[in-house]
Amino acid sequence: MSTDRQPDLSNDFMIQVQNLSHSVDLGTDKLSILQHVNLDIRKGESAAIVGRSGSGKTTLLGLLAGLDLPSSGTVKLDGHIISALSEDERASLRSQRVGFVFQSFQLLPTLSAIENVMLPIELAGLSNAKTQAENLLERVGLGERMQHTPRQLSGGEQQRVAIARAFAVEPKVLFADEPTGNLDTRTGEAITDLLMALNREQGTTLVMVTHDQQLADRCQRHFVIDAGVLHEHHAADAEVISA
Amino acid sequence: MSVTGKVISFSQDLRERNVKVMLLAMIIAVATVATINAFADHLQRTLMTSASAFLTADRQLNSRTNAPIPEAWYAEAENFGLEIGRMIEFGTMVSNESQFQLVAVKAIDNTYPLRGELEWQADLEAARQIITSGPKPGEVWLNPRLMRLLELRPGDALEVGATSLEVTGVIMREPDGGFRLSNLAPRVMMHIDDVASTGVIQEGSRVRHRGLFAGGSTNLADFETWLEPQLTDNYRWVDVRQGETLGESLDKAEGFLLLGGSLAVLLAVVAIAVASRQYALSQRDRVALLKTMGLTGKRIRKLYLSRLVIWGLISTVIGLLLAIPAAWLMASMTAQLMEQPLQFELDFWQLWPAILTALVALFAFAYPPIDRLRNTPAMRVFRSLPTNDKGALAKDLLLAVAVILGLLWIYVSDLKLVIALLGAIITLVVTLAIVGAGLIWLLRKFTAGQGSWRLAVIALYRHRNATLSQMSVFAMTIMLAATLVLVRSSLLADWQAQLPEDAPNHFLLNIAPESVNEVEAFFTEHDLNRSPLYPIIRGRLTEINAQPAQEVALNKDDDELRRELNLTISDSYPDDNEIVAGQWFKAGDTKGLSIEQSLAESLGVKVGDELGFTVGAEKVTAKITSIRSVQWDSMRPNFFIIFPPNGAIDGLPSTSLTSFYLAEQDKALLNDFVRQFPTISVLEIDHIIERIQQIIRQVTQAVEAILLMILLAAIAVMVAVVSATMSERQREGALLRTLGGQQQLLVRATMIEFALIGFLAGILGVFAAEIAVWALQSRMFDGEFRWHWPVVVNLPFISAFILALLGRWQLTPVLTVSPMLLLRRLE
Repeated sequence: MSTDRQPDLSNDFMIQVQNLSHSVDLGTDKLSILQHVNLDIRKGESAAIVGRSGSGKTTLLGLLAGLDLPSSGTVKLDGHIISALSEDERASLRSQRVGFVFQSFQLLPTLSAIENVMLPIELAGLSNAKTQAENLLERVGLGERMQHTPRQLSGGEQQRVAIARAFAVEPKVLFADEPTGNLDTRTGEAITDLLMALNREQGTTLVMVTHDQQLADRCQRHFVIDAGVLHEHHAADAEVISA
Repeated sequence: MSVTGKVISFSQDLRERNVKVMLLAMIIAVATVATINAFADHLQRTLMTSASAFLTADRQLNSRTNAPIPEAWYAEAENFGLEIGRMIEFGTMVSNESQFQLVAVKAIDNTYPLRGELEWQADLEAARQIITSGPKPGEVWLNPRLMRLLELRPGDALEVGATSLEVTGVIMREPDGGFRLSNLAPRVMMHIDDVASTGVIQEGSRVRHRGLFAGGSTNLADFETWLEPQLTDNYRWVDVRQGETLGESLDKAEGFLLLGGSLAVLLAVVAIAVASRQYALSQRDRVALLKTMGLTGKRIRKLYLSRLVIWGLISTVIGLLLAIPAAWLMASMTAQLMEQPLQFELDFWQLWPAILTALVALFAFAYPPIDRLRNTPAMRVFRSLPTNDKGALAKDLLLAVAVILGLLWIYVSDLKLVIALLGAIITLVVTLAIVGAGLIWLLRKFTAGQGSWRLAVIALYRHRNATLSQMSVFAMTIMLAATLVLVRSSLLADWQAQLPEDAPNHFLLNIAPESVNEVEAFFTEHDLNRSPLYPIIRGRLTEINAQPAQEVALNKDDDELRRELNLTISDSYPDDNEIVAGQWFKAGDTKGLSIEQSLAESLGVKVGDELGFTVGAEKVTAKITSIRSVQWDSMRPNFFIIFPPNGAIDGLPSTSLTSFYLAEQDKALLNDFVRQFPTISVLEIDHIIERIQQIIRQVTQAVEAILLMILLAAIAVMVAVVSATMSERQREGALLRTLGGQQQLLVRATMIEFALIGFLAGILGVFAAEIAVWALQSRMFDGEFRWHWPVVVNLPFISAFILALLGRWQLTPVLTVSPMLLLRRLE
């Protein structure tokens, strides 16, 4: 039995980051944004990355989603080493597995609510885009406003559309960048509820960047990033911090 | 339509300002090129037809020996769908009873003239008539001088060689009379069928056959291609351009039109490139978002490429649809000036440069920045990132220069001119950038003063990169437009100066020394001015370096070796001549002679060679001391050979030549003159001058119309460039209003800012234009350069005014919409 191989635990991980560092060229200087980041997130887990403005959290989110490549270290997304993929390969990886929710909603102003939701479904080449988009918009409570354009919707409504759009392709992982950052507290809470509920329903892995501690507390895991250095925040730490 | 298709759909595109500007620029480019092409082609044909009258056909085939033109060639010409005509010219003696006279006979067939018309009188006292056919078989027409010399009346018989023909009219003017002072024998016109019966054409007599051809330009070109390999040195194929009278004027006009067209294209592609770049910039967020959704670069390219193709198709179609009526309108405008307007025809081949322009504009100028969209980093969805496309810009620029070079080459087919033009433009842009940067830096010192002025200057300096590029584009635009305006004015002035309203339009030849005083008296009596008298000594060029000229000349068949030349004596050479070799006579020089360039080349002689002439029974020799270029189209007396005063031909029997201006309404005086001085030949060139002036008028109209289109293209460029920074400026405006800035302040500051840009660009552009005009004048149009002070002074103000209005226009949304709405919309 000693020759039995260990089960490949990596199959359980949606995201695996090893020794990731990232810096940008400022002509003569190099600005280090992330340093030696290590991070594992299992499938179906929800994780919050908390940090101040400029701490590097959004950069980390982009790297995890394969929107950019790190200066060094590796990022594995659903078992694929991102830096080994071409840009187009990363794009198709995203189209099948990844959803996004942004702070500034990022709806296409020229499309109606339902068209915004249909867009990723069509891009992924899936059928029944319309029915699925309608169902999702009903689900986020915008059944009556499907034909409205983003300009005709409030901030909270726009973010609901964005959430519907993010879940449209049933992504395995959802990246959210300050999803309540542009919303008032009550609307923000409602959006958070919606996000969490859909996350549970679809069994999606959720990675969220926020500076909102309450929002972060609703995630299973909690990372803090400060000056480019990431560490996991455990309940015990919280007590230390609050003490 | 799928949602993906709707992400950027045509109706959506139309809501994008940059797309609107790009489409507009494309439409202007296509319409301008198509209009210029269709119209230039029409004008070409009109001018050629108008000028064809000088040849009485579209083309002439002239024999240089006695050999007639092979009948097979005529047959082939007819196969090519051409009209043909035959003509024979020869000199002979004619007689009436006991009086004899040496005449120049022109024998024509029933088709004569294929182009142009004749002026004819039933007898010496009858009214002039314009007719389009020559004498019938058995008839003969004489010029008035000959009628008097031989004392003939209509109905009398004239003996021509062995036959007798009936005089049925007086030939006053032939379309192909040309401007040859050498053709001094009086004209007789008869039918070609009668030539054989005269028996005057013998072996060795000097006969010239001319074949006349007329037809469509393609047919002519096809025939020309067929004919060319068979042409020996004995035949000369002549089109209007080789006719000495009009060739240069036509070339200049065509050069100008093509130059104008090229500049319009240049302006339009600048507008397209600017708008496309702006469009691409505005699309980056969208592309980044699509990338997060997994859209690959390939699909992004496909998405945008399909838009470009649709825009291209639509703007090309609209451009062409606009061009056709525009060209037709221009054509009908010129038709009003024409005696015989030409039907406007549209040929698909006139439109292909426009379509090519559209394709090139699309793929060389609009596509590169749009194609680069797929390199937009997906991280842009989180925050706007500086795009590092400096390398790409250089590549774009290189491509643009190469493509413009190619386009211009296609339009102008003159590589040297194109490279010069491009070199000038590149030098200009660099210089403009440097000088502009200096000016902005200087301007920064003047920020004191009133609120709006301060705000404007600060804005200029704050956006200095944008200001600089705008200023360069405006300056270039102004330069191109101003260059055309200036070249046009000096071109027209040049022509008009060459042919002023009272340019001598009649020549008197053969004035015998004893008649000089009487002629003088006639001129005084009728209050006419005449030019100085040129002595004319008729002599044959017989020797070159003491060898028989016909044996040693390079071109042994040169016509000038076979006839008497007009030799003259003068201490100065005509203004429009230029000494190309050797030196003009110094005061007191009595030795040497000056020869015309083309004759010198044909004879194969150079400065220092000795020429011998036979004048009557005398022989004279002189060495060539200078070679002159002569502008044969100047309509002034010009001579192949000029001797110095007291030179080799001094004292030989001479007659005199003079010229004078006679207005149309005073033409009747000519009859009195001819009656009083029957031996003096009158050469009427008023119709030639009138025709050249008519052509100049047509070209002027064409030039004006093309200028208008170029100005439209220039305005498109300005609108494109202003739009480029529009949203940023609108956001600033909205912010200023939010912060309590008053509308008046905003309007004034913006208008001052744009007026300043316009003023500085105007100064730079107008000086650059003067340099360009100077270069063009000296290289292309052979004109003389003058400063154009009214333009230099006024243009910067005009450009400031236009820019101020454009600035006000782009501010409109800021003033009409609430700042909150605007800020939200511009987010």
